Amino acid sequence: MSAPTLKIDDLKLSFKTWSGTAQVLHGISLHIKKGERVALVGESGSGKSVTARIVLGMLQQLKSARIAGSVEFEGVNLETLKPASRHALRGTRMSMIFQDPTSSLNPVYPIFAQFKEVLERAQPGITNEKAREKAISALADVAINEPDRVLDSYAFQLSGGMNQRVMIAMALANNPALLLADEPGTALDVTVQAQTLKLMSELVKKHHTSVLFISHNLGVVREFADRVYVIYKGNIVEQGPTERLFDDPKHPYTRALLSAVPRITGGGIPDLDDDPGRFTAPLVAHEGYSERELLA
Amino acid sequence: MKKTLTILTRNPLSLIGLILVGIVVLSAIFADVITPFPEHVGAVVDFSNFNKPPQWPNIFGTDLVGRDLFTRVVYAYRISLVLGIVVLAIAVPVGVAIGLAAGYLGGWTEYLLMRITDVFLSIPPLVLAMSVMGLLEPTLTNGMIAVTVMWWPWYTRLVYNLARSEKEEGYVLAAEVIGASKAHIMVREILPNCVPSILTKMTLDFGFVILIASSLSFLGLGVQPPTPDLGSMVAEGAKYLPDSWWLTVFPGLAILIAVFGFNLIGDALREILGGDQ
Repeated sequence: MSAPTLKIDDLKLSFKTWSGTAQVLHGISLHIKKGERVALVGESGSGKSVTARIVLGMLQQLKSARIAGSVEFEGVNLETLKPASRHALRGTRMSMIFQDPTSSLNPVYPIFAQFKEVLERAQPGITNEKAREKAISALADVAINEPDRVLDSYAFQLSGGMNQRVMIAMALANNPALLLADEPGTALDVTVQAQTLKLMSELVKKHHTSVLFISHNLGVVREFADRVYVIYKGNIVEQGPTERLFDDPKHPYTRALLSAVPRITGGGIPDLDDDPGRFTAPLVAHEGYSERELLA
Repeated sequence: MKKTLTILTRNPLSLIGLILVGIVVLSAIFADVITPFPEHVGAVVDFSNFNKPPQWPNIFGTDLVGRDLFTRVVYAYRISLVLGIVVLAIAVPVGVAIGLAAGYLGGWTEYLLMRITDVFLSIPPLVLAMSVMGLLEPTLTNGMIAVTVMWWPWYTRLVYNLARSEKEEGYVLAAEVIGASKAHIMVREILPNCVPSILTKMTLDFGFVILIASSLSFLGLGVQPPTPDLGSMVAEGAKYLPDSWWLTVFPGLAILIAVFGFNLIGDALREILGGDQ
């Protein structure tokens, strides 16, 4: 069996501050196989986004960050890679989509200039015509009707949903093996979010891209992910296949998280049962879905 | 750019600024044509006409050795403008580069660069320029060096603060994620977003550079005679106030017009481009 696209093993992260160290991740393990869509779910500050940053190698540069454990990308331990070869992975083999698409695009350049920069990562010295051709077909994939007009526009001239689709097209333009989606579309309204996620879902299926989907939006996760990891205060507390985890949450925190979602049918904002004692209960893996069983 | 010009001409204050700067720049360029006695720029003596009040053909009067004051004021604009351009052409790139590096790279680079900048900022600008001029010979070139030395830290400060806030923007993060190099992010992503503020400050500063250069020559530390300079003309004439008032008033007004004009345009640009200091 080939190595999983991403394998994180016992990852620990702490930040050194003036008043001692703050432990952020307490040893989390997760993996994503080729073409698999995995969600990492948790509340704000639980350690979702830092995990993505570590995978991209962006926290390692920070002097105050202390990182232990291993991150393997396609069977290669990223820590053993030279900075240059690690740098070469970014934007070509792995890419990322952010929360707010409009601010992720530089306001002083038209979309095409930025698209070309992305394409240049994989093909240095690509010509303008070739880049334009590629960009147009990439934008057609995300259902943009007038690719020429969009390419000549600036980010602030396009709607949020349009920018989000541009970002998705850019992130997938170099056919990466791994896509990190950090709460994509949280800054968008729900209908637009649903549309773009549907597009993204179809595209990653087509390209067999592995996705780490980071979100706090449980509804979106349920539609999008194959498997789910629930993270609470730097610990994975529950993992399993999406259907089973939603139908039969086993960990107290997952249950609380699911009941905290406001219902469209009314009934007020649910009271969140906040009981740190129970929430820190050890990891519950659904049958056949523990790290050991899946990686065997 | 075209739009900016339209807005500039619509606002009465900035229109005045444009007209004043236009007069200054055009008269400096066409000094040979518009002045009646171009030869009076150098060491010319005409004692039959010395110290005359404004009259035809000496509309600004003549100075103490009989040279036409109008001619000398117009030629002095040339020197002031060249000085302003040279000073900003050196101070802005240096200041901006240091500010960008300090703001984006952070860590020890930031600490070192910004503390050095603070050292320069902590000395009163005129005192700093005077001490540089005191060490060097008082010539036009050294005057430019002195003003440049005191000017770059302000751009470092400005760009440093801008870079610090731009650094947190989504597109910088996005560029880092797709593997853009540090140089690329500084020059291609952050810098273009700082340009409006830098341009605004440059326009405002142009007047101040002229003013500070004039202050230096007023103190005898700038351009040396017989080269015409607004500051030294004011200084020279001040000894004969109030009898020979034209010796001071016209060069003084010339400074006022240039500084005022550039400031009006700078203020307007700040509103149009939304740059803040």
